[in-house]
Amino acid sequence: MILQALHALFTPVSLFAIFIGTTSGVIVGGMPGLTATMAVALLIPVTFALEPLTGLLLMGGVYCGAMYGGSIPAILLRTPGTPAAVATAIEGYPMTQQGKGGLALKISAVASFTGGTFSTLILLMIAPALATFALTFGPPEYFLLALLGLAGIVSMADDENRLVKALISGFIGLVLAVVGTDPISGMLRYTMGVTDLFDGIAFMPALIGMFSLSQMLELTGTKQVVDEAALATTKKFKREPLPKGISKSIWLGSLIGTVIGILPGEGATIAAFVSYNVAKRRSKNPQLFGKGSPEGIAAAEAGNNGCVGGSLVPTLTLGIPGNSVAAALLGGLLIHGLVPGPELFTTYGVMTYAFILSLFIANIIFLLLGLFMAPYFARISMTPTNMLIPVVCLFSVLGAYAMNNSITDVFISLLFGLAAIILQKTGFSLGALILGLILGPIAETGFAQALIIGHGSYSIFFTRPQALALWVIIILLLITPMIQIYKQSKQEKKEQTIG
Amino acid sequence: MRKVLLLAMAMALFFPLNALASYPEKPITIIVPSKAGGSTDTSARLFIKAAKKYWPKAEFVVKDVSGSGGLKGFEEIARAKPDGYTIGMVFTTQIVAHIVSKRAHYTLDSFHIIGNAMQDPLIVAVPENSPIKNLKDFIKSAKAKSMTAAVNGIGSDDFVAAKKFEQQTGVKFNLLPTKGSTEQKAMILGSHIDASFMNLSQLQAQHKAGKARIIAILADKRSEILPDVKTAAEQGYPVSMTATRGFVAPAGISKDIAAKLDDLLQKVNKDPGFIADTDKGVLFRLPMTGPEYLAYLKKLQAETQKFYDQNPW
Repeated sequence: MILQALHALFTPVSLFAIFIGTTSGVIVGGMPGLTATMAVALLIPVTFALEPLTGLLLMGGVYCGAMYGGSIPAILLRTPGTPAAVATAIEGYPMTQQGKGGLALKISAVASFTGGTFSTLILLMIAPALATFALTFGPPEYFLLALLGLAGIVSMADDENRLVKALISGFIGLVLAVVGTDPISGMLRYTMGVTDLFDGIAFMPALIGMFSLSQMLELTGTKQVVDEAALATTKKFKREPLPKGISKSIWLGSLIGTVIGILPGEGATIAAFVSYNVAKRRSKNPQLFGKGSPEGIAAAEAGNNGCVGGSLVPTLTLGIPGNSVAAALLGGLLIHGLVPGPELFTTYGVMTYAFILSLFIANIIFLLLGLFMAPYFARISMTPTNMLIPVVCLFSVLGAYAMNNSITDVFISLLFGLAAIILQKTGFSLGALILGLILGPIAETGFAQALIIGHGSYSIFFTRPQALALWVIIILLLITPMIQIYKQSKQEKKEQTIG
Repeated sequence: MRKVLLLAMAMALFFPLNALASYPEKPITIIVPSKAGGSTDTSARLFIKAAKKYWPKAEFVVKDVSGSGGLKGFEEIARAKPDGYTIGMVFTTQIVAHIVSKRAHYTLDSFHIIGNAMQDPLIVAVPENSPIKNLKDFIKSAKAKSMTAAVNGIGSDDFVAAKKFEQQTGVKFNLLPTKGSTEQKAMILGSHIDASFMNLSQLQAQHKAGKARIIAILADKRSEILPDVKTAAEQGYPVSMTATRGFVAPAGISKDIAAKLDDLLQKVNKDPGFIADTDKGVLFRLPMTGPEYLAYLKKLQAETQKFYDQNPW
């Protein structure tokens, strides 16, 4: 069957479809406001006119390409195209400022490739077994998974003072997440009668405002993104070797991304932050994190690309899409009469395996694209700001509108952009805020649903083995930075008394 | 001469007969109040494919306006200019549930109802390892202990179906609102809940594969794709509930255009190509004319109102 699939795959039309899909995916992912979900959904009517396989290959390519593409503007301009790339921006942008943007892009390409390939391999080999594992996760586990993601807030702070501010930022995010329809009772909360707010504050416009628009406002005072002193390094197209020690982060990220991706729900953001957090804990140079750590980029990018293959495991085997992109992809499968389930791997096996194998090719395409184009992409960071700012702002406003065809969203993103400037100037963490906003609803729904399933008893959070395992990971992730910060502040006090 | 010209212009303004004769002469936008790639979106696209056969010169554009349980899209249709160039899809029970909960800026009178095309009957499903095999077991065990049953949000078709069961049998479910069918599916397959009220299309493949069990279909007759599943009425509980997906236009649209659109939908509903396409995509047809669908919606609104008054959300 796999041989037949390969045969179907290595035709000029198929290869061309993968190539077009992946490149346009990279472009879509790179534009602020355009998402992979949107691109895949737009492709569905196009696939009517094509062979089902060709359509699937296009959609798969877009999915792979977009996840990687999101990292390019995150690194170069600190304007992440997707929430999953926020962690990448935290590390990548300082590297660009130091004139190492090209290197950061290369690391991102290699890490994305490894994460994507690893998870596709897992999808190919043991998809059905993993799907069973994914099903053991219920509402209590989703609540804890959201907590695990929120634990990442702690990793955004270095000392006691910043920790308090990061926690406050995260809390603001959680409070903003309250706006909208109560997931359990259906009551409206703080929507002020605006229909656009019934679903809560959409996080993509918020993300665009907080990162793209605020960053453009920030840049108005400078000539270009790269520091004057580092200009020369950016101009040189020399072949820099990848820094040592990042392979550990890449493998860590790939593994975490794949595992989290398998669980249905918005996985890529959680996966990127959890990998980033774990990589920081296990790094030999944790002091570099937040100031341009190659390990941080590697872990985050491997993590969010690991989700691609992972999210397709429950989509293809059970018909439960792992995230919104996979959901759109599922719609594309169904319209061609391909109903997920065991039949997909037997009756329609040739097509399914060809689709899975095409993801490998898509990964190779964006790797090559990323490696060869990195020095040229890096020059974007040298564009004079008087040309850069209008273009990025235009795309940002367009993207904020296009997400839900809503003008309210444009105002939301402008508001968040202004607020972000104030928060940033006063030392509050934007990453923590967006994390709270995205994970708040997941945590709330999980918590309330778990209590309903448990008939009101809190014991449901402590009696299930998966839940207990998650508790252990959360505590481990929280304890080490706490001790570090405590030690640091103690030392500082000592120095002060001596001084 | 000038007077004649003026008269002609006035005529053209007040009696746009020429424009009518050639309707449609520009693209018709179909507002789909859900996400691209979902079943309502798919229905609209299959409709367009078939409609082109009867109106070869017409152009159709799908505009997905998702959010707030369809409310955003429904409102956009109601607000649209009634010139025949913006029509839309509605789905139940959400279209009436928003009116009942006083959140909608529209009523059923805001629409010209073109008719219905699709449906997705409700089912009662239990995990594959559950001892419950039929509705009798189900009601018996619901009386014995509090059973957790998942529904898709408050006021949805699943919710109304569950409430109908409660009303008829006197049981009380531990209702678990979810974010949608994806979550319900995952919880049934992972045995996290005792039962789920959901749509047939969402679980039929899993039932066939033996990974979940559909114990009843809440329709008047059995489904062709799952002939082994008994209807609720056959098992002694006459509860019927389905999610319909129909077409509407904003109210105030001219009678001739309305008649043309009504006619088009009826033709598409009978089109062999359309029937074949929907079968392939596991979508279920429920053709209804405009007046039939309006009567259906009014009845559903009265029913939903009853549940809302007992327990508002």
